[in-house]
Amino acid sequence: MRLVIDNREVEGREGETILACASRHGIHIPHLCTHPNLPPFGACRICVVQVDEMRGFPTSCTTPVREGMRVRTATPELLKLRRNVLALMMIEHPSACLVCGKRELCDKFRPKSEKAGRTTGCHTCNNKDVCEVRALSEDLGLTEIPVAPLYHMRPINRSNPFIDRDLNLCILCGRCVRICEHQQGKPVIAFINRSGKTHIGEAFGRNLEEAGCTFCGSCVDVCPTGTLADRYAKWYGRPEAGIESTCIFCDAACALRLGTKDNRLVAARAVNMGVPVCMLGRFALPEFLNGEDRLKTPHVRVGDTLREVPWDDAIASVAERLRPYVNDGFALVCDTTTPIEDRHLLKRFTNEVMKSDRYVEITPDARGVSRARLPEGTRALVTTGNFVDAGELDGLDAIIVLDCYPTAVSERAHAVLPAAVFAETEGTVLDGPGTPRPLRRACASPGQARPEWWTIAHLAQALGGEGFAYESAREITAQLGLKNSALLVERDEAPAPALNKRLARAFFRGHRIEEKVAGLRAMQGAEGRPADAVAIHTEGRFLVVEKREIVPNAHEIVIEAPEIAKKALPGQFIIVMVDERSERVPYTLCDWDAEKGTITLVVQEMGRSSRKLILTEAGDRLAHVVGPLGIPFEIKEYGTVALTGGCYGIGAILPIAKGLKAAGNRVVVVSEARSNYLNYYEEKLAGTADEFVFTTIDGSSGLKGHAVDEVGRRLRNGERLDCVVAVGCPFMMMLTSEETRPFGVKTFAALNPIMVDGTGMCGACRLTVDGKMKFACVDGPFFDAHQVDWDEVRDRREAYSFEEIRSVGRTEPVTMLHDGAHRGCGCDAHAKAGVK
Amino acid sequence: MATTMTVDTAAVADIVARYPVNRGSLIPILQDVQDHYGYLPESVMDDLAERLGLSPNEVYGVATFYTQFRFEPPGEHTIHVCQGTACHVRGGAEILQEFEHRLGIEAGGTTPDGRFDLRRVACLGCCALAPVVSVDGHVFAGVTRAKAPGILAKYRAKEEAPGS
Repeated sequence: MRLVIDNREVEGREGETILACASRHGIHIPHLCTHPNLPPFGACRICVVQVDEMRGFPTSCTTPVREGMRVRTATPELLKLRRNVLALMMIEHPSACLVCGKRELCDKFRPKSEKAGRTTGCHTCNNKDVCEVRALSEDLGLTEIPVAPLYHMRPINRSNPFIDRDLNLCILCGRCVRICEHQQGKPVIAFINRSGKTHIGEAFGRNLEEAGCTFCGSCVDVCPTGTLADRYAKWYGRPEAGIESTCIFCDAACALRLGTKDNRLVAARAVNMGVPVCMLGRFALPEFLNGEDRLKTPHVRVGDTLREVPWDDAIASVAERLRPYVNDGFALVCDTTTPIEDRHLLKRFTNEVMKSDRYVEITPDARGVSRARLPEGTRALVTTGNFVDAGELDGLDAIIVLDCYPTAVSERAHAVLPAAVFAETEGTVLDGPGTPRPLRRACASPGQARPEWWTIAHLAQALGGEGFAYESAREITAQLGLKNSALLVERDEAPAPALNKRLARAFFRGHRIEEKVAGLRAMQGAEGRPADAVAIHTEGRFLVVEKREIVPNAHEIVIEAPEIAKKALPGQFIIVMVDERSERVPYTLCDWDAEKGTITLVVQEMGRSSRKLILTEAGDRLAHVVGPLGIPFEIKEYGTVALTGGCYGIGAILPIAKGLKAAGNRVVVVSEARSNYLNYYEEKLAGTADEFVFTTIDGSSGLKGHAVDEVGRRLRNGERLDCVVAVGCPFMMMLTSEETRPFGVKTFAALNPIMVDGTGMCGACRLTVDGKMKFACVDGPFFDAHQVDWDEVRDRREAYSFEEIRSVGRTEPVTMLHDGAHRGCGCDAHAKAGVK
Repeated sequence: MATTMTVDTAAVADIVARYPVNRGSLIPILQDVQDHYGYLPESVMDDLAERLGLSPNEVYGVATFYTQFRFEPPGEHTIHVCQGTACHVRGGAEILQEFEHRLGIEAGGTTPDGRFDLRRVACLGCCALAPVVSVDGHVFAGVTRAKAPGILAKYRAKEEAPGS
């Protein structure tokens, strides 16, 4: 049929929607709730169009094309309508960053989002890199939110296996509910309640597991916002590369798209998103491959110990160890998770080099268990996993292990050679029906781990084997005629474990997968779940007197620390260790009371250590609180001083404001927050300052813009400021510095680099000020902002970002603590720990 | 969990039998279930989902959309505080607040001892008597905050009186 879209005559197909027809012809209609893997729904109304002879604004995602239809997709009326629809949606979404005047600068200075507990804007959202709402807001030119946004302060759920859920970001597009119904039959989630209380959830306050979730992850894949997130992958951002390979956890051989960062695997999902994969393929793989206890270097036994040696020495040593067993008692055991190419060499090595017919190849059973008995008369063994009972090893003279993780076998082996497995290697595997499927290399192997074909080829050559000189697995692939294997992308139905998680395999090469993957251990009823892993035991000296979340993600904590309270001065900080094993983290003192012997901090949850601190409760005791540290801000008469504070800095400027006021200065305090619901301490600051101004980035209360805008406006108006002090994130302080520089106003910034000891020994907090090296802990925290090398400040804070992210995802006690479904925000988690 | 009480689900089969087995029957079935039990017990909704071939989440999702359904056993006495126009201008909101405060629950809730349900109602149709409160259908006229304790005491006393 023929129809006209935007004055262009196009060919429509029977049953097709206007949206589908338009996009097929390269005509872009903005849309949001619709998704290629879902039937039409028409909830969000972003894709509205105008059609001659149809009333109002039909949604193009649900309206079928008709002969002779005339459709307009981009009239000024539609553009305005769409923008308004999105703006209304954004009232209940942390949207300030979308309409921020400094969005481009921010993206340039700090492209990565920060791993906050509660997301209050794009900069602290796990979904920033791939957010559909963010892209849409650019597309539609959203610059204003007409009504002050509302933050529901709903509990964040961080205790389900694998999936984090923050309903405060949800726009109720329903994609997750619909994909669950579409792919799993009976949805485990639904729209609960009505109007302002509508949310996505499970019946009767059950959690995902109780509701019967299979953890296929399709809901996470289709979520256009950061509401649903893969806990392990969420803070890595958009993967750098996406390699398509075959999953070898079982013989369903699902095609996975593997996302990497810095050559490490961080995420996996189905290539064909129309069919779900199981929780192992979707969630467990990256954590399994990135395990800290992976075998990384070759080890050879010297006496009682396994000693790390270079590969050349290891190969030579193993060759000598095996030489006496040529044609005499040698056996090799492997299973089919080793690619065909590698197994081909393992078999040839056994037959041709060791002149043995004891090549044992195991096909794992339905649970992934691979067990074998050693052939009679075996005296020397090469094994690629934990396949043989301990009793059988007793009589062996030589045990050589090629594996990815240590096991009971590797502990008593004469040599342990680290193997690259799964997505770290390439080759071919067979699926259940026996069709060859390609295994492609997506990421680096840990340390010096090598593919098995490489190791066995070198071993063969060291023993004089002929025809083992391969440069790559591909040569073997070609030799075996397996070059044309194709991924299993098109399939009619989901593999069984994707619809029933109990059918997922429990073992890979004799390793219990659950031992390496926190999300699997978190499953209810899982074997070996550490019952007491949920409590953070704090039995130190320093009593937490009070703790409350004053605004989303900012926690005010009052700690009993009389010695510090007695000596503290404005601008100083302390270093806290929550328990004996915690990281040392500096926090600025926001207040103190020498009489009561207490100090007050405002702490933002920004990673593992701050999360530990905010999970403590009144009555808990912190292991160590050290301070006061740093050089206090110099309190003297400057004249008129402008203090700007953002985020934790709003609290941190309070004591400086008090001090400066008492010293006879005229104090102007400008606080900044993304939105109205993030402002705090207004009364305290207003009561201290001569003038108190607050700004919000989205203009929802106070002045619209940033604190620096207000400072700049005053300077341009000729107002005299003798000194400016900025406390906040490096971006905010850098902006303040740039603004005041042309006016020559003395500007101080309170720098907050990564710190370890806080006494000038370790050098972790090194920065460059006026070309000279300074330590923030003993020379700071206050420095002349105009002399600071801001790019270095930013880069040094990022130095450990991979490790920081990894530690958040793997922090098991903490992972288990936030049970939003049953226990609110997790603040009463200790009670829960006692109950379980 | 909404409730962990065990409830006899035998009646569900009879109720379901009155309707065709499809999604469209869900709301009338829920209404009948509530008529029978006085509320929608969790185990009954699970059972119902099973019978209709739905997930409990779908049943719960539909049920929570409508204010007519409740998920806790009703209190012995139901207090309706009128928030209609006439009652509103004469302080209906304050009176509701007073009851909420005295009972320690929000409108829509039930006291932990199961004695009182507190409900807001849009109009009881006796605006001349505003502001009004009704308890188990008995209307109290011209209510003030000060009268709230008296009304509650009356119903508390009823049960505590010996022999009643």
